Amino acid sequence: MTSTPSQQEPIQPLPVAGYVWVWLALMVLLGLTLASSYIRLDGFNTAVNFVIAGMKAGLVAYFFMRLRSGDALVRIAAVIGVLWAFTLTALTLVDVLTRRP
Amino acid sequence: MNATSATVRRNTDEEVGLWVFLATEVLFFSVLLFGYVVTRIHHPQAFALASKHTDIVLGSVNTAVLLTSSLTIALSSVSLEMGRRRAALWLLPATLVLGATFLALKFLEYAHDIHEQLVPLPWLHFSLSGPDVAGERLFFYMYFVMTGAHAVHLIVGLALVAAMIVKVARNENPDHSCGAVELTGLYWHLVDIVWIFLYPMLYLISRT
Amino acid sequence: MTSLSAAEAASATAPAMPAPAAASSYLDEGFNLWSWLTTKDHKRIAILYAVSITAFFFLGGAAATLIRLELATPQGDIVSAETYNKIFTAHGVIMVWFFLIPSIPATLGNFLLPLMIGARDLAFPRLNLLSWYLYVAGALFTVGMLIAGGVDTGWTFYTPFSTMFSSTYVVYALAGVFVVGFSSILTGLNFIVTTHRLRTAGLTWFRLPLFVWAIYATSLILVLATPVLAMTLVLLALERLFGIGIFDPALGGDPLLFQHLFWFYSHPAVYIMVLPAMGVASEVITCFARKPVFGYRMMAYAIVAIASIGFLVWGHHMFVSGQSMYAGMTFSLLSYLVAIPSAIKVFNWTATLYKGSITFDAPMLYLLGFVGLFMVGGMTGLFLASLAADVHLTDTYFVVAHFHYIMVGGSVMAYLGGIHYWWPKVTGRLYPESWARFAAILIFAGFNMTFFPQYLLGVAGMPRRYHQYAPEFQLLNVLSSAGAAILALGYLLPLVYLSWSLMRGKRAPPNPWNAAGLEWQTASPPPPHNFDSPPAPPRKPYDYDPTRPEALPGSAAAAQT
Repeated sequence: MTSTPSQQEPIQPLPVAGYVWVWLALMVLLGLTLASSYIRLDGFNTAVNFVIAGMKAGLVAYFFMRLRSGDALVRIAAVIGVLWAFTLTALTLVDVLTRRP
Repeated sequence: MNATSATVRRNTDEEVGLWVFLATEVLFFSVLLFGYVVTRIHHPQAFALASKHTDIVLGSVNTAVLLTSSLTIALSSVSLEMGRRRAALWLLPATLVLGATFLALKFLEYAHDIHEQLVPLPWLHFSLSGPDVAGERLFFYMYFVMTGAHAVHLIVGLALVAAMIVKVARNENPDHSCGAVELTGLYWHLVDIVWIFLYPMLYLISRT
Repeated sequence: MTSLSAAEAASATAPAMPAPAAASSYLDEGFNLWSWLTTKDHKRIAILYAVSITAFFFLGGAAATLIRLELATPQGDIVSAETYNKIFTAHGVIMVWFFLIPSIPATLGNFLLPLMIGARDLAFPRLNLLSWYLYVAGALFTVGMLIAGGVDTGWTFYTPFSTMFSSTYVVYALAGVFVVGFSSILTGLNFIVTTHRLRTAGLTWFRLPLFVWAIYATSLILVLATPVLAMTLVLLALERLFGIGIFDPALGGDPLLFQHLFWFYSHPAVYIMVLPAMGVASEVITCFARKPVFGYRMMAYAIVAIASIGFLVWGHHMFVSGQSMYAGMTFSLLSYLVAIPSAIKVFNWTATLYKGSITFDAPMLYLLGFVGLFMVGGMTGLFLASLAADVHLTDTYFVVAHFHYIMVGGSVMAYLGGIHYWWPKVTGRLYPESWARFAAILIFAGFNMTFFPQYLLGVAGMPRRYHQYAPEFQLLNVLSSAGAAILALGYLLPLVYLSWSLMRGKRAPPNPWNAAGLEWQTASPPPPHNFDSPPAPPRKPYDYDPTRPEALPGSAAAAQT
């Protein structure tokens, strides 16, 4: 009924301790992002916060949501929403940022 | 579902379907992200000023609470796969409690916002002033809409987790519950990820 | 089961296959309303959709009738301006969301996708039924609101009129469309998982019928675009209800934001409407030219390219809205790009016809009409994609003609062609061929008479959405309204003879067209579980031989062994 699995190499499941380490990393990143916003970095504050948020989301998706051992199909599904959202915003910014006041 | 040994883990049809659904949720929220980005580009200082009036303590605590709830639900899924139902039966309620805590703190925060007159409805007094009050009102409009949409999704998540607790407790169909908890977890993690982005967007624009 | 034995078993020249004693079709699984309303069978759900969308089609057509009646004279003498606004809004809302978007995917797609891939049903049958209920609930609610008081914003709901000035049932309409949106999303999700996961053994992607590719690409658009519309409608409703929002310049917002968000969905939406039609075209044209499709891989890639690039062109609806010139240039260039895969498809259908052994059965008439009218509509799209030309043509009848050529001349013709082509499979009956050919020709003639004058009106400067116009436009308007009457008659004919065929039509064999495709390897109508034994996928799709037009596809190779 279903076609053959796309991956053949066995993936070691993450041990329980691994999940706790990921959680610890998330907490550290939370602390980092909070602390960094008290340092005046002008435009870079937003960039730093965004990058850290991306890292947190990546950790949750890769480990907690098991993209680590997921099919190519679910990995694409995971990414494509973000890609399309980016497209919507980016092309709109082509308009918004180039308007003459 | 027994995954104690190293196995090839292939996603079920239901998991694929749920991931497609999560992609639609990402796009759903991306409209709000888009609205935020464009409005902030039009009103950079107003957004920075207004953001200082969000409650950094409640916001940060809530972020930590939600991240922890992701841990507990992920571990409950793993426990069920390892056949450790008893562990799942405290991990799932822990998730529920953490999620409910988030909501409680959120509503507390809303109460503060109302009290401090930060609600930008035309018939209410808006307490912020400055060179660009319209922009500050828009910040709080986005704040309420974004956290509101997130809260609605979280409430749905709580209902699902509660249903999972019942399912696992009854233990009528262990393989099926294992899969269902995994699916619920995927939805829950998405709600967490949305908040991971909302938090810096709303609370951390400028704290200096 | 080799294709040769399939030919022996299902040859159209043999008498109709007597049904084995215990076999029943999906239509025999319960005859009461309850069995239909609680079904999880994709084939029955497809029919539920078909009945519903037909009803909405005629409702939207009634609105169109009023429009053409009003426009037969230059004065606004039948309805007031406000009422006219409500009528064209109703026409647009009903036709776009309650007819065109569901049409081919939810009817032909639902019925055929599992059959074409050799599956028993879709991946999530109960979700499929939920999709239908959401559709009916949302559509009925919205139509109720459109009739109870109406909405006058146009189906495009532009701000600030929709948020600040319109005094009609805007929020209710938004709510109804929001609900129908979830129907689309769930259907798309179901189709995507089904196509990836339920293909029968040996059926690789590049052996799939192009109809499956088309439905798959459509499903990707459904899933990626519709959520954006949903949230945008929520923001619109919030702004209207609470008087605060990001679209109102007086409050520091930007009305163009709404347009960007709205068209990010609504442009890909037109590809939701046209890609399935293109899928039908590849099925029908190959069958009635008895020839494999020219350039199968390019056709498949073109489908994916249309779906992807189609997401990047939305700003061409906003050239004169106040967006920056650089955005205009970007979207114009991208719009020209999206024409390329569409053109490739038109070339390839034409090349498929070349040296084919062509017969002009009704489905073929419809799809030949599709290719020509889609080409005209597509080419006029290029006029509109040109920034300078669009300044003159935008918001005129040129645009109206352009999109009707594609949506009506294109999608509706293909939908009708598909209905006729698969009618024997779905119902187990043959429709009356002469009536069908007559209706197809009448529709083609009526369509052109209705909409070609509108191109000329647009170039001459007649604005759209106006209930009165300058007297010099009257002749073309009268032609258009007369054409509409012929078109209406043309559309009513299939309703009559197809219904007649349900009761009196000849019984259909499993493969009356000697067509390729797994759906023809089972009985007409199919048993509830689709296939009695898993069907064998073909060596290649569309394995027709034009030098032996009466043979079954694939039999040429078998005959050589």
